[in-house]
Amino acid sequence: MAEEGLAKVEKIYQDRGGRAKELRAQGKKIIGCYCCYAPPEIITAAGLVPYRITGDVKETIREADSYLEAIMCPFCRNSFDMALRGEYDFLDGFVVPHTCDNIVKIYDVWKYNLKPPYSHFINVPHTLSAASLEFFKAELGTFQRSIERLIGREISLQQLKESIKLHNEYRALVRELYELSKPDPPLISGSERMKVLLAGTRVPVEEANELLRSVISEVKERRDVPPKKPARVLVYGPEIDDAPFIELVEGVGANVVIDDLCVGTRPYWFDVEINGDPLGAMAQAYLEKVNCPRTYRPRTAGRKEDLDNRFGYIANFAKEYKVNGIILLILNYCDNYEFESVEVKDYLQQAGFPGLIIEVDYTLMSIDWLKTRVQAFLEMIS
Amino acid sequence: MEEKKGGLLAGIYSRTIKTTDAAKKVRPLTKKISQQAHEAAAEGRPIAYCFIMSLHDEIIRAMDITPIWTENYAAITAVKRQGERFISSAQGEGFPRNLCTYCTIQEGFDVMRHQLGMMPPDAPDGGMERPTMMLGTGMMICDPRYKSYQTAQRYNDVPVHVHGLLWPAADANLAEVQDYYVKYIVEELRDLVDFLEKQTGRKMDWDRLNEIIDLANKTYQVWYDAYQLRKAIPAPMPTEDAMSTMVPGYFWMGTQEAFDFYQDLYNEVKYRVDNRIGVIPDEKYRILWAAGLPPWFALAILNYFESLGAVFPIEITYHPPPPVEIPSHAKHPLERLAWRFFRQWTQRNEEAQRRSGDPMVEWMLEMIEDYKIDGVLAHRATTCRTIHVGQIHQLNVLRDYVDLPMLILESDICDVSAFDEAGTKDRIDTFVETLEVYKKRKQ
Repeated sequence: MAEEGLAKVEKIYQDRGGRAKELRAQGKKIIGCYCCYAPPEIITAAGLVPYRITGDVKETIREADSYLEAIMCPFCRNSFDMALRGEYDFLDGFVVPHTCDNIVKIYDVWKYNLKPPYSHFINVPHTLSAASLEFFKAELGTFQRSIERLIGREISLQQLKESIKLHNEYRALVRELYELSKPDPPLISGSERMKVLLAGTRVPVEEANELLRSVISEVKERRDVPPKKPARVLVYGPEIDDAPFIELVEGVGANVVIDDLCVGTRPYWFDVEINGDPLGAMAQAYLEKVNCPRTYRPRTAGRKEDLDNRFGYIANFAKEYKVNGIILLILNYCDNYEFESVEVKDYLQQAGFPGLIIEVDYTLMSIDWLKTRVQAFLEMIS
Repeated sequence: MEEKKGGLLAGIYSRTIKTTDAAKKVRPLTKKISQQAHEAAAEGRPIAYCFIMSLHDEIIRAMDITPIWTENYAAITAVKRQGERFISSAQGEGFPRNLCTYCTIQEGFDVMRHQLGMMPPDAPDGGMERPTMMLGTGMMICDPRYKSYQTAQRYNDVPVHVHGLLWPAADANLAEVQDYYVKYIVEELRDLVDFLEKQTGRKMDWDRLNEIIDLANKTYQVWYDAYQLRKAIPAPMPTEDAMSTMVPGYFWMGTQEAFDFYQDLYNEVKYRVDNRIGVIPDEKYRILWAAGLPPWFALAILNYFESLGAVFPIEITYHPPPPVEIPSHAKHPLERLAWRFFRQWTQRNEEAQRRSGDPMVEWMLEMIEDYKIDGVLAHRATTCRTIHVGQIHQLNVLRDYVDLPMLILESDICDVSAFDEAGTKDRIDTFVETLEVYKKRKQ
């Protein structure tokens, strides 16, 4: 019997690009994507397979120092180092959205040095004005035409809508997966959930949907639920895209029941409108609904309303999932989060959720100090 | 008595020796920026925090809004060796030390002014007035431009406006994208004007804005022409002067003062070229200052180079943008600004697509040829990713096209503690020796 559920997740998680390589051997093209702002819907609609580019927290930089400054986002350096070592050789192309300064810079360096067969940069406005939405829609149109040139045919409206439907289904399943963390103790651990999400970004969306359905079904039925811990926490941060940190927190006395992470709730807490103009719907969904500090949310009223508008959703997560505290895990040299975390911590503190800010260099090679800090925080909030 | 070049490089005992009279006239202008803000505050007129290169210049001049250029003020505190207390103040609020020190100095200053309820004592040039609004930008690069003022609302609870300014990637097909890029910039600028009108209660005078743009374009032209004269050998004006002469272009653009300044600069540089008056008497090596913001507290490193016979005839950083052609159909002032911005940022894209893939590398290659460059130096400011991430790549690409010695020095724009004086001197000494080796090899 073929593996399914969490066993299959573990296999995909451990094997990283294994499934992508199999698909490539069958003639599929695999397109690597950075970050949350390149709509996978357009790639799927073209019959290509989107694959999220992540780093490897168990590896330190070996070769990237000759290409990238140490003052750069450590996730970008780490993932590029993997590419230099040939770990992304299975990609037929890569797409970089303009998320932040660091991601912008990685585009040229990757393209010049690794010479991928296909590459495309999507510009993403930092503001949410009507003009920004129109602009982003136009940029997605340029991206679509670029993908069409790659495959040698047009993507039909129907294909685009079908793809949106599939990805909406995936997002809904992810939200359903998170529901399983609401009980106390949760039915699924935070590290298991992280592995599920990672696995979902490494297979075609149809397979990801099947995988999620089998995981949800298994978890609902299983008896060996994660043990109840003294605290329930939310983890907030940027590209935290592997399980070890979540395992660390869970290992020292907390259930990580919810998050606000790039591989976490951030790209999945919305749907793309299926009726009407698909490019406009994707532009609106990705620009407005992905909650990342790289997007400037205009202040429309007083200071309190502004903070509610920017961070209220985190407090809502915290209430809904009944957490005791928030761990803000920030990557060094990630300017947007470094600016924002001060305000986020204060805001959540006032909402009744104590927070701990920790800055890390992405790799978790030396984690004793981290364990000590998390443990002390958990003792305080438990 | 003539001052000796090559003494201490950083800190309160260092002094950067300028060559041109124009550069020596800049400090009063920077004081005047603060003075105008003090007067505006006293009279209750609108004051805006601003970042440079954001297309604010002509628009705020046309609406009589007094700017406070927060980057400029941070650099002044660094030169005066007063940045540290403001950086510490920001750190006390939780802002990490590796954030842009232009911003942490501004944040730290805002924290102190907010907590004290008055201007921080002994602040250089009387300090930064509390703004009535803060104007950020969502640009292609430089995330602190929108994050810093958004966060500063903790200490200045005043309206913030952020407008988008984007340009396409170097490999984009300009014909395919330029119309919607320009349209976007125009609409974002219109939003900015609407915001300013609402904040000030004044209506934009579009004719006046057009006149100010005309004046700014004339100013860019004469500034650019003056710098073209710097191709001469011996070098008539060095990079340390350019780090001062950029002030009218970046902080006074759209004013008669800025135009007059560059006209005078042009005349002075031309006189030096015509009379073969160089920066140093015996010019042995000509070095390009590649992209990278300078250590404002240690510009004397450039004098140290000169004491070894090396001069910087030109620089990428703060170089005036080369003039660009605006389409004749662009009549509205916001369209003129948008087209100028778009074309300035994309003018080397097609060359880049044909050769190196990198517009900045293309510019460096042009300068290396035009200015007879013997070596390339970049300065990495450790708290700024905007310009300084990518330097290794740019120099790697550059090496594919030219065989020149290249060096990256590392410190910061404003954080004096990031500067290693002895180590910097050692690296400069070795670099100059390498220049000599290359020169002999080519002979």
